[in-house]
Amino acid sequence: MKKIYRQGEVSVTALDGVDLSIVKGDFMALAGPSGSGKTTLLNMIGGLDSPDGGSILLNGQALEKMKPSQLADMRLHQVGFVFQSYNLIPVLSAVENVEFVMLLQGMPLQERRRKALAILDDVGLAGKYGRRPAELSGGQQQRVAVARAIVGAPAIVLADEPTANLDSASGKDLLKLMQEMNESKKVTFIFSTHDKMVMEYARRLTLIRDGRIVEDRRK
Amino acid sequence: MILKLAWRNIWRNRRRTAVILTAIVIGLWAMVFLSALMRGIADRMVKNAISTMTGHIKIYHAGYRNDPVIENRIENPGEIKNILQSLPAVRQFTSRIRVNAVAANARHSGGVTLVGIHPGREAGISFTGDAVTEGEYLKDEESQGILVGRALLEKYETRIGHKLVLMSRDASGEIASRAFRIRGIYDAELESTERQFVFVNLAAAQEMLGVNGDVTEFSLLIDDYEEAAAVAASVGRRFDGDDLAVYSWKELLPLVVAVLKMYDGFILFWFAAVFIAIAFGLVNTILMAVFERIREFGLMRALGMKPSFVVAEVSAESFFLLFIGTVAGNLLGAASVAALSQRGIDLSAFAKGIEFAGMSRIIFPVLELGDILTADAAVLVLGMAVGLYPAIRAARFSPVEAMVHM
Amino acid sequence: MNFIMAWRNIWRHPRRSILTIAAIVFATMLLVFMLSWQFGAYDTMIDATVKIHTGHIQIQAQGYQDQRDMRKVVPDPNEIERILTSLRGVKSYTFRAEDFSLVSSENRTYGVLVIGIDPQKEPSVSTLEDMIRRGRFLEAGDRRSALAGEILADNLNSPVGGDLVLLGQGRDGSIAATVLTIKGIFNTGQDEFDRTMIHIPLEYFQELYNMRGAVHMAVVLCDSLTAVPAVKERIAGALSGIDSSLAVLDWKELNPGLVQAIQMDLVSGFIFYLILIIVVAFSIMNTFLMAVFERTREFGVMMSMGMGPGRLMGLLLMESLGITLIGVVIGTIAGAAVTWYFQIHGMVIPGAEEVARQFGLPERMFPQLSFLSIAVGAGIVLILTVLSALYPAFKVKGLKPVEALSAV
Repeated sequence: MKKIYRQGEVSVTALDGVDLSIVKGDFMALAGPSGSGKTTLLNMIGGLDSPDGGSILLNGQALEKMKPSQLADMRLHQVGFVFQSYNLIPVLSAVENVEFVMLLQGMPLQERRRKALAILDDVGLAGKYGRRPAELSGGQQQRVAVARAIVGAPAIVLADEPTANLDSASGKDLLKLMQEMNESKKVTFIFSTHDKMVMEYARRLTLIRDGRIVEDRRK
Repeated sequence: MILKLAWRNIWRNRRRTAVILTAIVIGLWAMVFLSALMRGIADRMVKNAISTMTGHIKIYHAGYRNDPVIENRIENPGEIKNILQSLPAVRQFTSRIRVNAVAANARHSGGVTLVGIHPGREAGISFTGDAVTEGEYLKDEESQGILVGRALLEKYETRIGHKLVLMSRDASGEIASRAFRIRGIYDAELESTERQFVFVNLAAAQEMLGVNGDVTEFSLLIDDYEEAAAVAASVGRRFDGDDLAVYSWKELLPLVVAVLKMYDGFILFWFAAVFIAIAFGLVNTILMAVFERIREFGLMRALGMKPSFVVAEVSAESFFLLFIGTVAGNLLGAASVAALSQRGIDLSAFAKGIEFAGMSRIIFPVLELGDILTADAAVLVLGMAVGLYPAIRAARFSPVEAMVHM
Repeated sequence: MNFIMAWRNIWRHPRRSILTIAAIVFATMLLVFMLSWQFGAYDTMIDATVKIHTGHIQIQAQGYQDQRDMRKVVPDPNEIERILTSLRGVKSYTFRAEDFSLVSSENRTYGVLVIGIDPQKEPSVSTLEDMIRRGRFLEAGDRRSALAGEILADNLNSPVGGDLVLLGQGRDGSIAATVLTIKGIFNTGQDEFDRTMIHIPLEYFQELYNMRGAVHMAVVLCDSLTAVPAVKERIAGALSGIDSSLAVLDWKELNPGLVQAIQMDLVSGFIFYLILIIVVAFSIMNTFLMAVFERTREFGVMMSMGMGPGRLMGLLLMESLGITLIGVVIGTIAGAAVTWYFQIHGMVIPGAEEVARQFGLPERMFPQLSFLSIAVGAGIVLILTVLSALYPAFKVKGLKPVEALSAV
């Protein structure tokens, strides 16, 4: 798959002939220096961006052929995202942020609330349900983000440098949490990073450089 | 420096600036254009009233105004004529006889105002000069001819060349009547005018009413109708002691004056409303622009800039917005007025309503400098005043506060 | 939850939202008040015109309205009376006859409109009796009595009790001449009435002008303006069988100038309001725009969660609509309150008294709060404000998730 960005006169090939297969249950780190194309690749998989060439198949469906509304639907049910920062909707509390996805999916109030509270407990935020993002630490915010990402039972969770804004202790906690979720709930995780410590946690490591995959190994 | 900064800051967010500018431009355009329209209506009303034989200044016998009958006539017109000719302020004048009369033909009879005129001099002073659309205007030597309005012609179901009998009380108190022939038809702005006034030669009227060369009024035109009151006063002084009264058109047409005042008030009200509408948006927009730049302002303060600098800079931003908007709005307003100056706005669809309200059928907008200046001053000055609030807020961002904010 | 989110988003920037709401409140208040004012004025004008002279409906000979020919008569008023008393919706009625004649006092002569009125029925149809300033109204049994307008009486130098010589032409062309005594002097406030009319008893008019029992018009009053069209149809229907040379005219046809003047005022009013609200719409558009642009990243996150562009737009519109509704509701209530206050106490516009009088309006004017004025006022503001909010909302529709996420 190819992706070319144009910035003024300069065209940058973000991804040049990437060929990748992801297996259900993978806990994969997509590693590379900044500018290597990992964010772009993640955006492609999640249907946030579309390729200039090639195709992306998620559970058998070709993403590059979908309309924006179809992609939105796909993201709603199949994909969860965790970003580096600014993950949460500021006017909603922790539990409301988590509920939001289920609301979009059409789940009734009682069920939503039950599941949201449960998953917040799972990520270790029991008792902080009503806090707004501004009232939570960076690490806590990311936890809520993870909770929200997986509560909708997606096929795959994409995390773009999730620990980059956290101190090392919180970062480790977050990774452990993601690992736990991957194992207990069988959710596929792909996280991008350039941090060696983060790479340690992965069971599959894919190295990307200058838009190309240079290494792909399982531990 | 402040100006350079302010100017660049405005264009940081093009869309936002464009939106508020649109509000200001439309607002100002509306102020200028609509007030010009209203002035146009008022102006027309005044000119129409004046040309319907009021003139700028009138001289009557002292008792005539309350009791417009032939007894209250001016018995020494020749003297007055001489004096008027010697006055430089008086551009043109004429004399008339004007009495209530009854006009009758085989079909119809009704009340009219009989006006005996000098056809030649009258043409230059009142609307009669250009108004005759069918038949002929009166000739100076005419004795049997009469001019009637089209609406009157229709009401009396008659035609050019037919007879019309006029009756009125003459100087000795008897009813005098005389037959005239319709020589011409005139069209006036208002149908009520057409139904009211009939014109004959002054000599014929004098003969019919048994007055030897006397008249009931003099009508004067001066150069600037706004000056009428002053000139009327000075003319009046010349006739001190005689049994005469000199009036300016304002005294003779209190209704028109009242309407003018009403328009004045309404225009002010309109300006106020538009300004308030703009003000809300202006304050909000500048506030948003300011709050976006909290860190920046904090930084400036940390670098040692005085609060007054910040106030000045933000005020300058308000100023640029207001200034551009005002200039553009004025230009648009002037352009719209110019566009309509040829054909005006045609209100014939509301013909009867216009008649009722005493307006004219075609409106030409009239730009009045006073209005424009008021609008511009209000928007600029009050706008800047209102813009002080966000400016002062901006100056209050301390460096610490600012750094924490984002 | 969408409501909760929209509400909280509105109050994220309290000052901004309050300013925006204030603008909408201002606009709505102004419109509600001005429209109530206009409608109130129209009602008063129509009422005055109808009650002073024309009534709601008139029955006349065909063509009489355009050509006031003495000979175009309503020949059998008794017949008309029979019809009118049998019809539903006719509140009161009377008959009149008119002609132009000369009246002279000792040393003045004027041409006036002489109107024959029925002293007993006329007060039920017009307010003439209330306008008597000196002397008294006409009574049954009066013969050579007259009511004169105040300006006319002054011009004639005639007081109550003074004599007037009347000279006119009868229906058959014969001379109508008599001496009348002024019994009462009226003042309607409108120069045209006060200067050019006298009223005499109808029976005497008919005798004097050789009417042979005919009149020139039947004047009918209905219960309300809204009832008029139906009543008019009934009268026309009842007449068509009997006498098709008669015409039935409603107050609009009797006063085309008034109706059009009102229309003109309405139209011009609307133009002003529209322009003002457009200015307001642009003035507050920035609020809606900022709400979009400041949160681009947030939208990106929401889209990443699976929120479709349509839903996103819906959320935004809900916010804008929220602000708008708050403003319109408060504005309507406040506007209605202010209008209500002046509806009770009335308002005098300085400088406009003279003009008002001439058009039959009292000096103290009362705005008239009505469902229409509120609905139209609030409606215009609502529609234009929502339109103004649509532009930013549509911008969101075309937003690409990736772009949104990379925004700051």
